[in-house]
Amino acid sequence: MLKKKTQTKEILNTKLLINLDILKERFSFGLNNDFSIRLITAKFNKHELCLAYYASLVNSDKIEQTIIQPLLEQEGDSLFDVITAESITKIKELEELDDHINNGKVVLIIDGESFGYSIDVAQFQHRDISQSENESVVRGPKESFTESLHVNISLIRKQIRNRELITEVQKVGKRSKQDVQLMYLNSVVNDQLLDEIRSKLTQLDVDNVQNIELLEQFIEERPYSIFPTILYTERPDNAATYIDKGHVVLLMDSSAACLILPITFWAFIHNVEDRYSRFLYGNFTRLIRFIALFFTSMISSLYVALSNFHSEMIPPDLLFAVTAARERVPFPLIIEVLIMEIAFELIREAGIRIPNPLGPTIGIVGALILGQAAVEANIISPIIVIVSALSGLTSFAISDPSFNFTVRITRFIFIISAGFFGMFSLMIAFTLWFMYGASLKSFGVPYFAPLSPTYKSNSDTYFRKAIKKEKWRPGYLLPKDLQSSRTFERGKTK
Amino acid sequence: MKVDRRLSSFEMFTLTSILIGIKLTDTTPSLFSQKAQNAFWYIPLLAFICILPAFLVLLYLLYKHNAKHFVHLFELLLGQGLGKSLAFIIFILSFVMIALDSRNYVEQIKILYFQRSSILIIFVLFGSVCIFGAIRGIEVVGYTTRIFWPFIRISFFILAALIFESVVWQRIFPIFGAGVPVILEEGVSKGSLFLDFFLLTMAFSAFRKPSQFIKGGLIGLIFSIAEITFFFFLYTTVFDYNSIEKISFPFHEVTQYVNLGDFFTNIETFFMVFWLLATFLRFILLLYLITWLFGAIFNIDEFELLLLPMGFFLMVIGLLPDNAVVTELIYRNKLLNIITPVIALVPFLLLLIHFFKRKKDLT
Repeated sequence: MLKKKTQTKEILNTKLLINLDILKERFSFGLNNDFSIRLITAKFNKHELCLAYYASLVNSDKIEQTIIQPLLEQEGDSLFDVITAESITKIKELEELDDHINNGKVVLIIDGESFGYSIDVAQFQHRDISQSENESVVRGPKESFTESLHVNISLIRKQIRNRELITEVQKVGKRSKQDVQLMYLNSVVNDQLLDEIRSKLTQLDVDNVQNIELLEQFIEERPYSIFPTILYTERPDNAATYIDKGHVVLLMDSSAACLILPITFWAFIHNVEDRYSRFLYGNFTRLIRFIALFFTSMISSLYVALSNFHSEMIPPDLLFAVTAARERVPFPLIIEVLIMEIAFELIREAGIRIPNPLGPTIGIVGALILGQAAVEANIISPIIVIVSALSGLTSFAISDPSFNFTVRITRFIFIISAGFFGMFSLMIAFTLWFMYGASLKSFGVPYFAPLSPTYKSNSDTYFRKAIKKEKWRPGYLLPKDLQSSRTFERGKTK
Repeated sequence: MKVDRRLSSFEMFTLTSILIGIKLTDTTPSLFSQKAQNAFWYIPLLAFICILPAFLVLLYLLYKHNAKHFVHLFELLLGQGLGKSLAFIIFILSFVMIALDSRNYVEQIKILYFQRSSILIIFVLFGSVCIFGAIRGIEVVGYTTRIFWPFIRISFFILAALIFESVVWQRIFPIFGAGVPVILEEGVSKGSLFLDFFLLTMAFSAFRKPSQFIKGGLIGLIFSIAEITFFFFLYTTVFDYNSIEKISFPFHEVTQYVNLGDFFTNIETFFMVFWLLATFLRFILLLYLITWLFGAIFNIDEFELLLLPMGFFLMVIGLLPDNAVVTELIYRNKLLNIITPVIALVPFLLLLIHFFKRKKDLT
């Protein structure tokens, strides 16, 4: 059916009246309230013509000033001399017509011509650029993406002033055709990678992909994996940094974020600010973040393992404190830990969904219930409050929302596994968890590259090098140009 | 995108180091000290010197013939029938060896940390981590080893630093322990300590370049032997010959001996974590290699499907011996002595055939 359709493409007619009927039928004129058709007689050639557009998608002032007014008043040889709008394209097929009107363009059809003109007057409504909320920084640009493709592209272009920065468009969705913009540096990015992404996008056989968040789930390799393999960021500067390295950025209208791929494990731990801060400060932050990663995924399970199975490891004084605190608690230790961890997750989820004015209330109630009342009622011991607060708070140091989930789910896996055989089963779970991660690939790139397997790169893994020493693009991306800095070559300074 | 995901020399170095170096933590030192007494600390060095030429020859031949692994090399030089039978003998020997070895490690976990648990359950857990880890493939084992290697070594280094104050240098005397002939005999007959490296040559083709395998492997061997000798030396000087004979697991004994300041007095669990990690990685690798060997002998390309039955059989054989003492002092000791001539002489046999064949080709 679909094949047949593409074979015989329906095209516009030379008679305006027929074209008008086609238009009215295709766009359910009359029923569809914001679809508008305006009939005019042009002054320059005395022909009748019609303008078709969605009133909600276009800038009506612009239509008036750059299209209608000139058509009614100006003389000229052709349409191009009359209309003052900045871009006009000819269209012939009805499918194209649909596309253009859906994308907020005005389609102009003149009697006697078998094609139409599409004039760009789109004005999609969107939010203004605001501060990044989920990835805030102290040092560095504060602006974040907004739900408009044009604005987002301009935010990236602002940081890479290079004619080789390509914004390639790919259509996804069978019924509602959405634009996906691929942004990359043409002279750097690997062609095979681009082809792979393009074919993934064109192979998508779904009616509608609304935004980048859904697109991520459509194009990732392992939908059931606990680890994310595509980076989601709302910071244009972050996107620009990755484009510079040879990654590909995907943008869509109506998403205040972009996707970066391929990606490695390290990207989820790193933060743009690590590079904005000076060498030592940035690496100190990294160290803190790794400690946070360890605490948030391990501390509760370590507490279960140590106090249940290896209590000799805990120094006697501390052990007495722990046992004294647990004396009147009826639950087994692992249940106690799980109660607290689940309670923390509940507060967290409720905190996100709660209407803003109520926000502080839940914090107070939550803290009061868990921290004070539950301890006094001997449901949990004070030590557990410390442990789960530590593991809960440190989880916020992992700023990437996807990886944050990874860590939080992992925490539960580890707690339960530590309940079986203490350290032994905890290490089993950890080894298998880690090896699963190491076996992952993001568009062909091993997850723990460049630490292992090794590639020529800036070895930006646990810690970063001084900016001056960063000379390479990541070799695992197979970039066309591996070297990114030639200023400080060995022995000479240009 | 086709990124080269094969392993490189550093991964080889860490794999060798995990395979060989970790032996310092098991019952090997007490096995050696039964005969050699306080001179057992340099027996690995002697064994290494005895077995090194064989390994060099093997690596040379693998490189020269551009072989995929040692079974392939056997087939190239000895013909299909003979090559495969020889490989099968090595398979049987190493299979039993790995089974006993895994029993040894499971016993350690049980005796030291879970006295009241059933050996079967510990073995099942241990077996499952090996199977599910190995199923991820040799590359992933390599990456994981490479990433954890520094942490494992740092923990060993901390242990060595902490025990240093208990060392009494004079305990190495008499330097020849139970006498030169005994030591030489022990040294020569325990070359099979390095059987694992022989198995590791199965992974010869998993590396980016053969030279990286050789480079990483040799440095890894030298590093491991230095590490083993150093730790054995520490055991001798800390425990002296009378007690080392009676201590089954000197590594764990040392971890229980040390303390970190006055506050942390029992930190063995800290070392146990890294030791467990290393042990898992070692047996994941061994299980993968032995299954690969089996697959290579019987021309099974998708040998990774055999990991589960192979792991199961290893566990069953590992469970057969009655207790740790029998496993260690009778079966493992005998097996080590049997394996040594096989792995020490086979490469030379191959070398002879190699030269003979080359001469024939030239004429």
